[in-house]
Amino acid sequence: MTQYKKPNVKVLKAKKMASSFISTILKLGVCIMFAFPFFWMISTSFKTYAESLQFPPTLWPEDFTLQAYITVFEKLELGSYLMNSIILVVANTALMVVIMVPAAYVFAKYEFKGKDFMFSILMVAFMVPTCLTFISIFRMFAHANMLNSLWPQILPCICNAYGIFLLRQNFMQIPEELIESARLDEANEWQIITKIMLPMAKSTMATIIFLSVTGTWNSYFWPLVMTISDEYRPLTIAIEKLKGLESGLVWPNVMAGNLVLLLPVIVVFLFASKKIIASMAYRGVK
Amino acid sequence: MKKKVNILRKLFPYVMVIPTMILLAVFVFYPLVNMVYLSFFDYNLIKEKTFCGLDNYYRIFFIQTDFRDAFLNTLIYMAGTTFFLLFLGLVFALWLQRDSKFNAIAQRLMFFPNICAGLAISLIFQWLMDDEGLFNMVLGFFDIAPLRWLNDSTTSLLSVMIVAIWKGIGYYALILLSSVKSIPTELIEAADLDDAGKIRTFFKITLPMLSPQLFFLLITLTINSFKVFDSVRLMTGGGPGNSSDVLVYWIYRYSMEYNKYGLACAGGTVLLVILLILTVVYFRVIGKKVHYQ
Amino acid sequence: MGEIVFKNICKSFGDTKVIENLDLTIKDGEFTVLVGASGCGKTTLLRMIAGIGPATSGELYIDGEEVTDIPPGKRGIAMVFQNYAIYPTMTVRGNIEFGLKNKKIPKSERDRLIADAAEVVGLTPYLNRMPSQLSGGQRQRVALARAMVKTPSVFLLDEPLSNLDAKLRVAMRTELIELHHRLKTTFVYVTHDQTEAMSMADTIILMDGGKIQQMAAPEVIYNDPNNIFTAQFIGTPPMNVHKMRDDVNYIGYRPEKIQIFRDKPTDCTYVRKVKVITREMLGSETLYKLQILSDAENEKEPIMSKSLDMSFAVDEEVYIGVPKEDLYYFDANKMRIRETDMLERLYCTTEGDK
Repeated sequence: MTQYKKPNVKVLKAKKMASSFISTILKLGVCIMFAFPFFWMISTSFKTYAESLQFPPTLWPEDFTLQAYITVFEKLELGSYLMNSIILVVANTALMVVIMVPAAYVFAKYEFKGKDFMFSILMVAFMVPTCLTFISIFRMFAHANMLNSLWPQILPCICNAYGIFLLRQNFMQIPEELIESARLDEANEWQIITKIMLPMAKSTMATIIFLSVTGTWNSYFWPLVMTISDEYRPLTIAIEKLKGLESGLVWPNVMAGNLVLLLPVIVVFLFASKKIIASMAYRGVK
Repeated sequence: MKKKVNILRKLFPYVMVIPTMILLAVFVFYPLVNMVYLSFFDYNLIKEKTFCGLDNYYRIFFIQTDFRDAFLNTLIYMAGTTFFLLFLGLVFALWLQRDSKFNAIAQRLMFFPNICAGLAISLIFQWLMDDEGLFNMVLGFFDIAPLRWLNDSTTSLLSVMIVAIWKGIGYYALILLSSVKSIPTELIEAADLDDAGKIRTFFKITLPMLSPQLFFLLITLTINSFKVFDSVRLMTGGGPGNSSDVLVYWIYRYSMEYNKYGLACAGGTVLLVILLILTVVYFRVIGKKVHYQ
Repeated sequence: MGEIVFKNICKSFGDTKVIENLDLTIKDGEFTVLVGASGCGKTTLLRMIAGIGPATSGELYIDGEEVTDIPPGKRGIAMVFQNYAIYPTMTVRGNIEFGLKNKKIPKSERDRLIADAAEVVGLTPYLNRMPSQLSGGQRQRVALARAMVKTPSVFLLDEPLSNLDAKLRVAMRTELIELHHRLKTTFVYVTHDQTEAMSMADTIILMDGGKIQQMAAPEVIYNDPNNIFTAQFIGTPPMNVHKMRDDVNYIGYRPEKIQIFRDKPTDCTYVRKVKVITREMLGSETLYKLQILSDAENEKEPIMSKSLDMSFAVDEEVYIGVPKEDLYYFDANKMRIRETDMLERLYCTTEGDK
């Protein structure tokens, strides 16, 4: 028989306690590391210009002011940019769904000539980044005289190859019998999609819509290259402009605008972080 | 009448996919082809475009040093962010794998920057890294000479990379965490009973089990890091000098700011070739991944 | 109301032909069971009737009307699927109601129909539940109720009992027979289980390799099989069949018709000395595996016997006998030979002397 050296239980326990204590401290450090920049943004946005540059810095504004917010909304008319952002989010997401769902449905449940070819085209398109296509697309819209509208920020963004792929995967898992059964129940294609398929793909749809909404809301590169006048620019571009709003960089202004941009995301995350994280984890592992 | 119904039934799937196909043709494939085409022309918006063969390519590789700078910087950025995101992602995943409230909170805080606009994160860090920003104030508090972070050609690219890692780490930790959790617990328990020790267990069981996922993430990260733009434009503007210039920002400047479309398209085509190679590797990996299961 | 006629039907999936030139009439109002091993084409036929897997060529008539181009929903049929195909996102009521809504039947009428159907299958207390909260048997009933409310002229059932446990399956069998008596419509039922087929059918259609092997009432198919396939498919254990001495024809006899004796019998046509290899008690009956004690190559295969007498022990050497009327003969193509006098003499007399 092998001889086991009996471990000293007391030493083991002490070691364990010490390591869990250190681990807790480190975790606290990590939490601060990831939360602090956001806290600093909020704190700065309520400071006066002078206090924002004061040394030593104040953690929370001593001279609490809403001046930055008033400045941003009055001088820059953040409202109209905000409106553009909202229109883009709603339009892009709605049109994306309208185009995506039928395509995902036939890719999952129909056999037709050219299907495999079209699907591989879709997969290739999914790998093509916008940073390669913007030059030609910009010229196209310039030729079509459409740069003075929101269309350049809508039309190229509503075909969601990745979304079609995800939804198709989900649709494929729905048993054929359900659709056949619905056909026997005299359901037409529209009813099969809306009454059978979509209710069964709720969480995938939620994930795709969430990605589309945040993607549009957060997008910076595309509006930057697809607009030539402020009238059609969304919030992100406006926030960047805050850097040059007054002479010198007034950080409280920038941070105030930043908070306006982040607020919806923060609110959504506070309420649905568990679901968001679960769906992202699932998506990544797949 | 009956025939008509049959034809309609046959056409149905095509009608359903046609909007998608048209959009892809107009907004993905035509622009790509057009970009490659334009890369052989001397073209700006003012002059008539003239064919110039490979001249644009010759210029960006051998004359225009800023393209080479941007290219090299992109490679550095890619190597740095990819390595640290995977390494730190794995560290955090293993560290936070136990299900506890505290771990869940830490995980959520880490993940949150991921769904925030890159612009917002860039601006926050630009403020923190400002000459009069908090980072320097803290350094000053300890009597350390202030750094010029984004405004120094030796640290500007590094600073951009730090922000990218800070923003992305939560996502990669999350994905690796769920892969770690998908390793059958019996395996780890068996190793425990064999008195394998934590480090041995990690290298002999956990890491090999994670390797397909890690490789998959490696490719995704590599592809993504070639697309970096927002943070560079916002935080450094590629500077000082060209110290933090990257490929996409270079393409953006040459097209939208300098109107040198031919050059920009040549740069874009180079990027396209790189991405094409990486994509082929990516699909090979996906094919293998499916094969494993 | 619900006669189904197949005329010269062919079906192929890609290059594989599943069914070739099939003609078949399923009678109105009968409980017809399509039975056969998996891949024999029985489900394919059912799906053709439903219109969800149309034939490659040929004509199909329901109730005298050509239905090839009529969409599934308009054929006046209802179908119960093997996995029930219950819409998981709708309540029980929603499931039953879906087809009625699509037919644009008014609300009050719908409610009445749903209440009736739920009453018949005993689902009334569960109408507002989601399918995930139901047991297997209850889901089965939802599928039945959903089919019933449509008052179809043809009722199609695709192995509806195969996902239930053994006890429930027997109970549901009886319920389905009762349901058929009540509705008096054409039932077409697909199964691979010959017991199910025998116990429920008015007419059994036995299929193999896309062809109909025999179509007849259960007692006919059992007592008077057309060929070896039918003889061996119906009945458990299957009929014992071996080649005859002339090496051309086959002889067969059912395990339950074998009589076992300790002394050599005199009144049986077919007599062999055998040794008991195994013995399985089934309760009322006992199953013996027997080895014929003979050097003949064609009798090497062990035979099965089902007997009421449980007294024979393993390794005991006994005699078996089969009366003349229980012997079946088949020709070289494995088809039944019904004129048997000459064959009997050829086979049995030479043996009896041994």
